[in-house]
Amino acid sequence: MTFFSQAFRPVGSNKVDPMLVALWIAFILLAIIWITPFVFIVFTSLKSNSTVMGSSAFSPPSELAFGNFVAAWNRGNFSTTAFNGIVITVIKVPLGLFISAMAAYALAKVPMRINKPLFALFVFGTMLPFQVMLAPIFRQVNAFGLINTYPGIILPYLAFGIPYQVFILYGFFSAVPKELSEAARIDGASHFTIFRRIFLPVSLPVLSALLILDFVATWNEFAMALVILQDPRMWTLPLGLMNFQSQFQSDYGQLNAAIIMTVLPAALVYLMFQRYFVSGLTSGAVKE
Amino acid sequence: MSKTRPSLRPSLQGYVLLGPALIVYLLFAVYPMIDVIRMSFSSWNGLSPQAKFVGIANYRAILTQDPVFWGALWNTLIWTSAAVIIPNLIAFGVALALNQNIPGRSGLRIVFYLPVIIASIAVATIWKWMYDPFFGLFNGLLTSWGLTGLIMDWLGDKTVALWSVFVAHVWQSVGFSMVLFLAGLQSVSTTLIEAARIDGAGRWGVFRYVTLPALVPTITVVFVLSLINSLKAFDIVYGMTGGGPAQSTQMLAMWAYTQSMQLGVFGRGAAVSVVLLLITLIVVIPYMRWMFKREDMGR
Amino acid sequence: MRMRNALAATLSVLAITAGLGMTSAAAEELKVWTLSFDNDSANVAWKKIIEEFQAANPDITISLENRSVDEHKAALRVAAQSSQGPDIYFMWAGLGLGGEFVNAGLSQPLDKYYDQYGWDKRLVGTAGGFSKIYEGGRHGVPYTFHGEGIYYNKALFEKAGITQPPASYDELKADAAKLKEAGIPAMTFGGTVNWHLMRLMDVILEAKCGADKHDALMAMKVDWSTEACASASFQELNDWSQNYILSPFMGIDNSQSFNLFLAGRAAMMLEGDWLVSQLRNENRLADFDLFPVPTGTDRLYGFAEYLYVSSKSDKADAAAKFLDYMLSDKVQQDNLGAFGSISINSNVKYDKIDPLDQKWMDIFAQYDKIYMNGDQAFPLDVTTEYFRVINEVASGNIKPEDAGKAMQSFIANRT
Repeated sequence: MTFFSQAFRPVGSNKVDPMLVALWIAFILLAIIWITPFVFIVFTSLKSNSTVMGSSAFSPPSELAFGNFVAAWNRGNFSTTAFNGIVITVIKVPLGLFISAMAAYALAKVPMRINKPLFALFVFGTMLPFQVMLAPIFRQVNAFGLINTYPGIILPYLAFGIPYQVFILYGFFSAVPKELSEAARIDGASHFTIFRRIFLPVSLPVLSALLILDFVATWNEFAMALVILQDPRMWTLPLGLMNFQSQFQSDYGQLNAAIIMTVLPAALVYLMFQRYFVSGLTSGAVKE
Repeated sequence: MSKTRPSLRPSLQGYVLLGPALIVYLLFAVYPMIDVIRMSFSSWNGLSPQAKFVGIANYRAILTQDPVFWGALWNTLIWTSAAVIIPNLIAFGVALALNQNIPGRSGLRIVFYLPVIIASIAVATIWKWMYDPFFGLFNGLLTSWGLTGLIMDWLGDKTVALWSVFVAHVWQSVGFSMVLFLAGLQSVSTTLIEAARIDGAGRWGVFRYVTLPALVPTITVVFVLSLINSLKAFDIVYGMTGGGPAQSTQMLAMWAYTQSMQLGVFGRGAAVSVVLLLITLIVVIPYMRWMFKREDMGR
Repeated sequence: MRMRNALAATLSVLAITAGLGMTSAAAEELKVWTLSFDNDSANVAWKKIIEEFQAANPDITISLENRSVDEHKAALRVAAQSSQGPDIYFMWAGLGLGGEFVNAGLSQPLDKYYDQYGWDKRLVGTAGGFSKIYEGGRHGVPYTFHGEGIYYNKALFEKAGITQPPASYDELKADAAKLKEAGIPAMTFGGTVNWHLMRLMDVILEAKCGADKHDALMAMKVDWSTEACASASFQELNDWSQNYILSPFMGIDNSQSFNLFLAGRAAMMLEGDWLVSQLRNENRLADFDLFPVPTGTDRLYGFAEYLYVSSKSDKADAAAKFLDYMLSDKVQQDNLGAFGSISINSNVKYDKIDPLDQKWMDIFAQYDKIYMNGDQAFPLDVTTEYFRVINEVASGNIKPEDAGKAMQSFIANRT
């Protein structure tokens, strides 16, 4: 029981707190409820359709129908959708962070006449739900002739990703002590140099947190892609999954295999980089 | 760091750095917002080359003639109020528990956070399958427990469909608020807590007079973020019910999309968007003022 | 500046990849947009036909894009405003869905090609007739011609003591009652795709209102709120959904409903002739039989699907060449049964066909008039409201007598 030897003791006490033990048990139950959907999905993905329709819903699969994954991969065009997802994410995420960082630096460290109102304009954007204006976004992208193209989806993604990133990085850059940049300014270095040589390196932890967060958000985005990427050859994974659902809802095993293949990349990224998630989320919203 | 080239005026350098982000933002986020307002006063079917100015006809149409608009508005309001309260209460409880000295904390945190990083459309697909009336998990469990009376057409019955979708939303959103609450809780000073305890404060006393006041900023942030997130509920409804049955789970964001992109009545869709935009602004503007005031005090 | 370059680079990469699609400067690329069909043999046949056509016409390449129904409609609407659109697109025939795009000027008249290739000589009359209903020339060529009828599970009918298919609507209702008595749900529908349940409403309207009044209702020329047969039809719909439809049905889709039908959970299904090939794929042809919906009129429930040439296309000649190939005796004979039970080409020979296919042949021979599915007759926004009203009536939320009022007030508010 060494695992428990330090547990259940409130701060500043060395007695086991019975209240905490009870709470813990209730809590574990809640966690089991929380994880049930995943278990159910995995079980179903390994069953053949006749098993799904013939056996009870939550029984573990007796045979392992891995063929579901192969079939779903082919029918759902996963090679295309995964490729598009990768192209879009790999271009959008670093590019967005880079231009957001430049803008945040300018707003935080370069005295211009309009720093304050511009910053407010960006902050306003963090709270603007783009789901509200899918049709006008579509019209705008269409005006540039970019429907069904990578730039056509990347530009609006950038536009709606920039505000949050500027907001976070502005906070971060503002907190960097003046002395760090002042010396370089006196040496005659330009803002470009200072940004690249001093601010980019010190902000690496924040940047990596934002990178991970933005990766998952871009990978998972659905509504904007729905209106802009109409051509199946340009679809991303969420669009592919939605289409799979509407066409093959009754192929339960394959549908669940498709779900797993869609969510797995983001889930793995999260498991590998979890601490960045927390810092990325909290650095902006809750000031330390 | 030597001077290698004649540099631009500092403020000009600033504009250059600011330029790309600002241009993209103005073109693809700010302009569409202006465009949607303009569109809401015109009539356009998406096929003809020109839009026609019609004054407030679209607003009159959605407010007085549209059989779905008021239902969608009501759903949006109900959904938003529920989404601000229920997942956050659960998240708060979970965060408090995770902040205690209990075993398996990191594993449990992953369990609660995992749904957050899954694409909403996948969450919708997962839950739609669990709600399947014939072979899904819920009705399967109810059958095996002998509770056949409770078996329902979760997504097909108008009286429960919205709440069925909402449960999926709760599952997905608890983790997000939980992380914010945890960060807030960890910033509560342990010395203060100990001091309070030494002063004889009980569990409730510590919570009420030390923890809670320290969490007020966090609570505000979580409140506003989940409010905005719920106003834009789109993916999960689209994926689970498509607004059905009989438009009973329709929400403003999706109704705007349906009108414009599926039915081709762009003007009415834009009018619905503007209504939703106004509702959002009612929340956003006071929040921004509060935030900037705090910012100024922090300086 | 790095990011500008990156953007420029991306743009040029895209331009290059777009360019790779064309084999040479002379080759014409035809874009064809169609559905991803539930019946997979249609998808396979399309691919094969395109390969053969390209082999025979090296100067034309064809790119095929498939979408599900709703996405296809949305994508076409989008294409109307951009230069990204197709040269040839799939759409139903009729003044509703097909008509909307034709009226908006998105289809180009094909009279010239009808003459040039003599299509009328080989087309089945009822199928080709739809090209004449539009103003300003003949639009589109038939792709398929479908009938819808009632499929039934022979074993379940026997179990309920039904010896022969119903000959009138009242007999159909009586059979449904017999099935109910035997503990068998009479029909299965999937409610999430609204058009599935709508089929029931369509045939009830035909039975209760008769041909002329039904057409007038769909053309929105008679008042839904005062027309007695309309509210009687809603009443019937409500009766069916309360008593004879496998429940729950609002939370499942048509393919799930088909699964349940295969599994013997319900006795009947209102489906098109394409279900025969789905049953064939499942190896279950012997267990089922079918009959036309006994509505008492001389019309068959069905519709035609068409291929239109976009008015934005500057490759109409090449497009017509491909359409001519599609309509040719050879292609239609080779792919018989892949698109539907019968071909739109009258020269096609039918032999060695399954009894269910034969049944459809007989049905098609028996009728020379059809009535269309509601969503192909109404404009889109009215269809959306029609779906809503049907679903509300079926789940008992709108009283049947109020349903007509809801329809009429929506129609009245449109103009």
